[in-house]
Amino acid sequence: MEREQILKDINAIFIDILDNEDIVLTNETTAADVDGWDSLTHIQLVVAFENHFGIRFTTMEIQGWENVGAIVACISSKC
Amino acid sequence: MSTILKVILDKIKAKNPKHYEKLVAHLEGYGTDYENLANSFFNKYNEYLERNQKSIDFGVDCYLHMIEDMLEERFKFIREGKYSNSSFDDVEKRIYGNPEIMTYHMHGLVLAQFLWFDQYERILFFIENINKYAKGGKKYLEIGGGHGLYMNEAVNLLTNIEKFDLVDISQSSLDLAQGIINTNQVNYFLKNIFDFRESETYDFITMGEVLEHVEEPLNLLNKINQLLNKDGVCYITTPINAPMIDHIYLFHNETEIRDMLNQAGFEIIEERIVISEKITEKQAAKFKVPVMYAAFIKKQ
Ligand SMILES: C[S@@+](CC[C@H](N)C(=O)[O-])C[C@H]1O[C@@H](n2cnc3c(N)ncnc32)[C@H](O)[C@@H]1O
Repeated sequence: MEREQILKDINAIFIDILDNEDIVLTNETTAADVDGWDSLTHIQLVVAFENHFGIRFTTMEIQGWENVGAIVACISSKC
Repeated sequence: MSTILKVILDKIKAKNPKHYEKLVAHLEGYGTDYENLANSFFNKYNEYLERNQKSIDFGVDCYLHMIEDMLEERFKFIREGKYSNSSFDDVEKRIYGNPEIMTYHMHGLVLAQFLWFDQYERILFFIENINKYAKGGKKYLEIGGGHGLYMNEAVNLLTNIEKFDLVDISQSSLDLAQGIINTNQVNYFLKNIFDFRESETYDFITMGEVLEHVEEPLNLLNKINQLLNKDGVCYITTPINAPMIDHIYLFHNETEIRDMLNQAGFEIIEERIVISEKITEKQAAKFKVPVMYAAFIKKQ
């Protein structure tokens, strides 16, 4: 899957889960840039990515991403 | 002067700075009463560690290990919508009967009693009301005493009680509770509560965070009903949406807990409910965040 498309899809998931229409993600976006993206909502987001893309992450993976680009790369390597 | 609470927090900061930030943000506003209670119990815990040639670093490492387990469990819980365990026998074998796991898990919980504000609210609710409800009583029972904090406070506060019994299914828990409480006023029983004496009844029973550890919590409440005197009171706490390595029964909301208490023949006298994050009720339900439920109950 194209990375650009993955970024678009996860942007929509962020908007849905965090209930905020204004979220615009780039590869450089980090948790500190997005209101409400914390350790708690992170798991919710991750499980939504899993369901959307039909993939599975390990606990190690979900703790290691430093920004949105790393998430996109990880998803792209799995689908 | 550096207190044991500060020492613990500093060590967590060094090893897991993100988690440290969250803890201190949550604890903001809790003043000297909080610090005094936390330090008094943590000092007893530290003395116990030192008597066993260990230092507080051991406790901090256990706590951080427990946090890792919790993340894993939460990940599974959000994926599946249920707790990862369904069999009590399996949890007993793998966890309660496994000193390695049970030790770090229970030492981790010692720290959680004061590092998590919802857990502090749980012991505070107990301390603020226990005298009112246990006054005049002679016999006190705690079920699943775990780390021993509740028995420790009961022994300190209830001068009228003549007999303190503590039953727990895990030898690791009993060792820790006994070691921290460090008094000969308490009788310890290594038993599954379902196999615990039939003939005796108690004036006050405490059961914190055990209801979610069994397959049929209603049966456990019925057992408490049998063990409680006609005018007795019970302090019971159990969490909602709180995945842990040894949790089996999932309560989705407080109504389910209340209904079950009523079904077992209890009336709720007073309750306290605390969301474990600083978020609204609606968000807590949406994100399935753990919620602490505590109540004093009596027979209908
Ligand atoms: C989470 S700890 C609770 C510690 C403490 N009571 C509190 O409120 O924080 C649960 C404890 O219940 C014990 N336990 C679980 N099932 C039990 C059973 N069927 N009978 C007796 N103890 C049990 C465990 O060994 C453990 O020590």
